Amino acid sequence: MIAPEVLNEWYPVAMAAQIRAGQRRVTQLLGQPITVALQDGAIVVTGQGGTMPVTEAFGHVWACPGTPAHPLFPIPEALETGRRLVDVGVVRVKCSPLRAVENFLDIAHFPFVHTDVLGAEPHTEVNRYEVSIREDSDEVWATKVTFYQPQAAKSAEGGIVTQYMYRVPAPTAAVLYKTCPARPDALDVIGIFVQPLTEELCDVWPWMALYDDTTPQADLIAFQQMIFLQDRSILENQIPCLLPLDPGMEIPTQADLTSIAYRRWLKKRGLTYGAQMVAA
Amino acid sequence: MIRLYDYVLSASCYKIRLMAALLGVTLEQEAVDFHPGRAHKSVEFARLNPAGTLPVLVDGDLILTESTAMLVYLAQLSGPEWLGPSDPKSAAQVQQWLAFSGRLAASLGMARLHDMLLYDGDIDAWRAQGHAALRELEAALTERRFAGGVWLVGDAPSIADIACFTNVALSQDGGVSLDAYPSVRLWTRAIRALDRFVEMPGIHRLHELRPAPEGV
Amino acid sequence: MTPHWTATGLSQDLPKAVAMAGHWQGQDLAIWRSASGRVQAWNDRCPHRGMRLSHGFVRGETLACIYHGWVYGADGGCKHIPAHPALTPPATIRVAAFACAEQDGVIWVAPADMVGAPVALSGLQPLRSISLTCDVAAVLAVEPALSGGDMLRGLVEIGGQACEVCLLVQHNAAGLTLHALCAVGADRIAASRWLEDLRRRAERKEAA
Repeated sequence: MIAPEVLNEWYPVAMAAQIRAGQRRVTQLLGQPITVALQDGAIVVTGQGGTMPVTEAFGHVWACPGTPAHPLFPIPEALETGRRLVDVGVVRVKCSPLRAVENFLDIAHFPFVHTDVLGAEPHTEVNRYEVSIREDSDEVWATKVTFYQPQAAKSAEGGIVTQYMYRVPAPTAAVLYKTCPARPDALDVIGIFVQPLTEELCDVWPWMALYDDTTPQADLIAFQQMIFLQDRSILENQIPCLLPLDPGMEIPTQADLTSIAYRRWLKKRGLTYGAQMVAA
Repeated sequence: MIRLYDYVLSASCYKIRLMAALLGVTLEQEAVDFHPGRAHKSVEFARLNPAGTLPVLVDGDLILTESTAMLVYLAQLSGPEWLGPSDPKSAAQVQQWLAFSGRLAASLGMARLHDMLLYDGDIDAWRAQGHAALRELEAALTERRFAGGVWLVGDAPSIADIACFTNVALSQDGGVSLDAYPSVRLWTRAIRALDRFVEMPGIHRLHELRPAPEGV
Repeated sequence: MTPHWTATGLSQDLPKAVAMAGHWQGQDLAIWRSASGRVQAWNDRCPHRGMRLSHGFVRGETLACIYHGWVYGADGGCKHIPAHPALTPPATIRVAAFACAEQDGVIWVAPADMVGAPVALSGLQPLRSISLTCDVAAVLAVEPALSGGDMLRGLVEIGGQACEVCLLVQHNAAGLTLHALCAVGADRIAASRWLEDLRRRAERKEAA
């Protein structure tokens, strides 16, 4: 029995362009089979209980298996002129959808997993940053995050100290805002939209809204896929599979403030699909 | 400059990127939107390679579409020692391993594409075929170890090792673990420890090869 | 079950400064050898975010987790957290270790408080570890010269000669791993091929 709090959220289920091109996607959401297809010019998501509420945003199709508790979160940067919008393409990972999000929020792994791109020894220290749960939107935010990166983006030439903000606007979605090498006054936006197929299997849909006038689309996609695929063998080898929401089994440090807030936020809101509650 | 039409997550393309790095050769890499764009199946791409596959290597009017042929070409140009010993037996063994690498791509490689990029197919068959191939590789590498050797043919790494390495090193991406194949694991470590080795996503850097930062 | 030593691998398959995955009594292990040669068997899980330590990297006498680089010393205690270089990690951050002994070219694991040494295997040399999808009964059925339970021994014909073999049995979810030893002086290539043949016969026997 899946909690109503979980059912009443929005989840990504397909790339809009692929469905509009005629693809019929047979997949799963929260353990139930669903189909995503074009019907009379409209994108329809059908589950065992019939059609679901659907919305299209940020290049993807979002569905709600219950009754939407609120509209899908906004990302205003997606509408700014001059931005390159990039659908990075789905990657399937044998892990809890919550583990996939938590990994996206973490920077301490950069020197070891994204070596010589997002981080490198000896620049391993994670400086103090700020985390809050914003009451108006009920979202987790991490701000004033900084980290030295040898190659922060496809458009970067050489190492820079990157400024980051992280945002969790939904249980299985996260957005990061980072220093844009091409335009120092703007932030590049990278999203990770996670479709929970089951509690132990997810389809991850990365997406980006960047300022970059020169890099070919295939290179932007390749760079982001490279980063995400470096995390995949980590995600598939964490024990337990389900994200522990109770303390005791896993030991966080100051660098893990975002993850601590995320886990607390999930627990408080009853968003426990993909989580385990008792420290086993 | 030799141009490589490339996809960052392709195990076959990685064979060529790796070989070039080990040889100290710079390739002009052109990224192809293999996923999600399926650009390699487009009409435009078919003018370059009607088979619609990656990698494709272009050097002047030479167009190569088979990764083993590309390995031979790069070695001939920039590192003939990588072709392996030239005696008939060794040369034949290199050819045998190059052909064997096709089986690794067709089994381990397909399992990986299924598990990671949602390719449709008989995943159980791909994994079973992958384990069967790994057993043969394990037996061969074990016998090489008894003779004091590390590499598939001869006393130095060759294109035979590079051709077989990539799909083996990425096998866990497709749900095939190397836990049962100790000789294979030692062989992949030996390749990863080579001077000028480059990784790809799914193969971590060997941090142990670098000393700990000062003070640690 | 009385505490006892279980073979989990061969020394020759674990060079210095390498970590590998192991299994023991249904648990996943990180078995690793330090730069000085010391072998240890630990719980395969970093207490930080649960990443398998068997994917980690060995530097000197320490094993570090591949995820965030947390460094563990020989006693299993965390020595360094790269995100906080100035911090001395609390002594509570540690990885559970099992008893681990190396003898006769075999790596043995037992409960942490194990007393005594593994059984001595004289006159034998390590051959290889091989995994099978069948059970011990199938192996014994196709090779009557072998007998035993967790240790299969016997005189078998290898290369036209009688050769003593010793197969240390390790059960796992998929079947068996046999850590094989053969008589000192035996032709190891011939012995390895005999083992491949044994596997084929035993697996076909079980499938039939």
